[in-house]
Amino acid sequence: MLTEKMEEYLEALFKLSCENEAVSPARLSEYMGVTAPTVLDMLRRLEADGFIRYTGPGAGGGKGKPSGRARKNIVLTPKGERAARALVRRHRLSERFLTDVLGLDWESAHREACRLEHVLSPEVEEKLADMLGNPETCPHGYPIPDQNGHIREEEEEIKPLCDLCPNEKGRIARVEEEEPQLLQYLASLGLMPDVNVEVKEVAPFGGPMLVKIGDAQYALGREVASRIWTRKRRRRGRGGPR
Amino acid sequence: MSANRRQAVSVERLEQLERIRRKAEYVFALAGNPNVGKSTIFNRISGMGVLTANYPGMTVELNLALTELGGRRIGVMDLPGTYALGAVSEDQLVARRGVLQGNPDIVIVILDANNLARNLYLLLQFMDLGCPVIAALNLVDQAERNGIQTNVELLSEILGIPVVPTVGIRGDGIDELMHRALEMAERKEEYHVLPFSYAADIESRVRRLARRVRAELEETPYGLAPRSLAILLLEADEEFTELLKGTARGEALLRLRDRLAEEIEEEHGERAALIIARERHGIAGSIAADVQERRERERARAGERLWRYTTSFRSGIPILMVVIIALFAAIFWGGGELARLLGDFWDKYVGAPAGRGIEAAFGVNTFSQSLNWAVEGLGAVLEIALPYLLVFYVILALLEDSGYLNSVAFLSDRFMHHLGLHGRAIIPLISAVGCNVPAIMGTRVLSTRRERVIASTLIVLVPCSARIAVIMGGVALFAGLVPALLLFAVILAVVVGAGVLLNKIMPGESSGLVMEMFPFRRPSALTVLKKTWLRLKDFLYIAAPLIVVGSFLLGLLYESGWIFKLTTPLKPVFEWWLGIPAVAGLALIFAFLRKELALALLVVLAAQTIPGVTANSSLLEFMTRGQIFIFALVCAIYIPCVATLGVLWRELGVKDSLAITAFTVLLALALGGLANLIL
Repeated sequence: MLTEKMEEYLEALFKLSCENEAVSPARLSEYMGVTAPTVLDMLRRLEADGFIRYTGPGAGGGKGKPSGRARKNIVLTPKGERAARALVRRHRLSERFLTDVLGLDWESAHREACRLEHVLSPEVEEKLADMLGNPETCPHGYPIPDQNGHIREEEEEIKPLCDLCPNEKGRIARVEEEEPQLLQYLASLGLMPDVNVEVKEVAPFGGPMLVKIGDAQYALGREVASRIWTRKRRRRGRGGPR
Repeated sequence: MSANRRQAVSVERLEQLERIRRKAEYVFALAGNPNVGKSTIFNRISGMGVLTANYPGMTVELNLALTELGGRRIGVMDLPGTYALGAVSEDQLVARRGVLQGNPDIVIVILDANNLARNLYLLLQFMDLGCPVIAALNLVDQAERNGIQTNVELLSEILGIPVVPTVGIRGDGIDELMHRALEMAERKEEYHVLPFSYAADIESRVRRLARRVRAELEETPYGLAPRSLAILLLEADEEFTELLKGTARGEALLRLRDRLAEEIEEEHGERAALIIARERHGIAGSIAADVQERRERERARAGERLWRYTTSFRSGIPILMVVIIALFAAIFWGGGELARLLGDFWDKYVGAPAGRGIEAAFGVNTFSQSLNWAVEGLGAVLEIALPYLLVFYVILALLEDSGYLNSVAFLSDRFMHHLGLHGRAIIPLISAVGCNVPAIMGTRVLSTRRERVIASTLIVLVPCSARIAVIMGGVALFAGLVPALLLFAVILAVVVGAGVLLNKIMPGESSGLVMEMFPFRRPSALTVLKKTWLRLKDFLYIAAPLIVVGSFLLGLLYESGWIFKLTTPLKPVFEWWLGIPAVAGLALIFAFLRKELALALLVVLAAQTIPGVTANSSLLEFMTRGQIFIFALVCAIYIPCVATLGVLWRELGVKDSLAITAFTVLLALALGGLANLIL
């Protein structure tokens, strides 16, 4: 079960990840204003419960390897992302309520919302959304995720890899699952969600694409590339106020 | 993977593996990603000749060898290059069978220092399987040129295994690698602690499943460690899932697996198999980042720039044209020149004296006349087949080793879809011009049976070096370059037409191209020469004796007069329909053994039956230009040779191989008859 503290970490991670691709434990401890051991301790609990995982250079690593942990980056798992988005939704709905209905100023609204987000029941949350007319942004202009955690603006950014131009970079959002074998094969090559890709060459007349992933380059047929969905590398404009 | 799938590794190979197991004290397996130079290292170790090339998927068969090291007999098994040990493609299946059934004492994982992160993935998978692993960090020279420095000691320390830097092509580090592997095998070290662990929530589930494996199974399939089996099950591995089905205890394990996998999917929003792959990539990436340092290169190296020109459409297509024209020019003029030189030499110093010698020793009778035919056959080998093959093999080796074929695959992908294939299939199709046999085995890199049947059919139609020698040494030499080019154009049209037709009539559709691309490597002169020799050796040891013996038999038939009785029933087909002499038809039938026989026997036939001519000039006295054209056309298309038929049989089964054979015979007769009508 999530404690209030854990929820705050998830929210912080979500907000940081909206602004910056890489969130290291050091960055998180600076953001939360707590010491590194405290952060690492909390991260261990979140990892054990499957809310976060480590990624990027420095991920994994094992026993007796000194350089590992400090260089790792943290990402939310889909489970963690769901929890974080639910929190952000409650926070931003509360802000809307506090400013629009109660007339609080933005700064106080944010402070109050930080408390309310942990105690709102789903029922109150929905009534609040209904009363406010299902607003899409918070008073600061940041988007409010819907009940399922979707943010509309974000969905539009996703496009298939085959629509990318030469020298365009993207990050894989998902791979269609119709052919599990292809999916598995691509995964063994490292072609999986959250991986960065760069298109090097696109052959004309519906020919294949040359795609760089990590240190390797692959020729991908257009039909394969159309099943890989990418988003822009940098997510923009979704970070909440500090 | 369907259950009735053809066995990935042939029974003969498994038997051979068994024999080697019995003879050898230890068995080492060589594993690694495609195109990291496994086969090169295998050749170094075994002294054997396995063909190598700079593109992925050159070896899709277990290569086995027995060698000696420090007084011990070591069996070496070269696994096909794979990115993983799953069951999603033929190469992976073969590698997997090799590891599970071959049960090697040591797995030598060969890593490409240029792309360590992805290469480590496979190594981690071997560790997960519980195999004793030792790593060779290959291509370190190339990586250094690319500005990548690897701390080998640190890598060895992190992985907890020996790591030896190697340069396979020069043989650097191979001795040390083998000795370290032997040391490791003799110590019989077991892994107690894996050097890595997965994310806490994954790891706890792996452990839970492993505990259950320990409790439920007295004996795991292939004697795998419980942890290894647990990971395979969580990865939804079909083979092991299948193996556990049917028993109560196995089913209980599978139920637990399903529950745990569901939990993981619930938490991560991705299938457990994918999460484990992600974890492995993460660990591999972190290790690579820790042990490697990169200097940004100031400028792309010339080789890489050139490589990009060959993949870009605008410059790539003209370059491809130039390469093809250069190929033909080199074979025509280079091979022709060589043929003239060898021919003169033969006639002056061997052919004529041998004829006199035979007459002096045996007098003039049927036997001595037939011996003359055999000598003439040997001459035909030297004058007609060998020069063209030699030039061709050198060029083919250059093309393969440079990595240019990757670019061709990329450029041709769109076009290949019209034939029901994709770009990857162009590589076996091009290597088919060397020899159809390995090309057909090379179709294993294609993922569907439909693609393999189409590709194999087209490969059979692609003129191999023997048929190119027949066309060059026959048509080009005697009828001129233009008819020879015309003939190639006809064959190309036949290949394309057959592909389009098969794509139309065969159910299903083509799958997509996924292929790793490698920048150019400078071909090593030594490797090119070695490969040329390997291919030539096959010709000299198998085809040449066949030609000599075939010439002798044909001589016996002719000198004794039997030939006319034999050719009478052939007359309607050859003389009436194809318009070529029935005896020439006999040469075509002999050519089922080796296609070189067709021309060699024809030349011998002409030289022996028409007085006063030598091989260089004789053919036109025997047949007209048009007849030579038809002869070469039929020879190029009808029936694959016996070796090709054998490999087709093994790869595709009786039905499809017979269908392909019948198709080619009918096609050859139809085209030959048509040509006869026109010419």
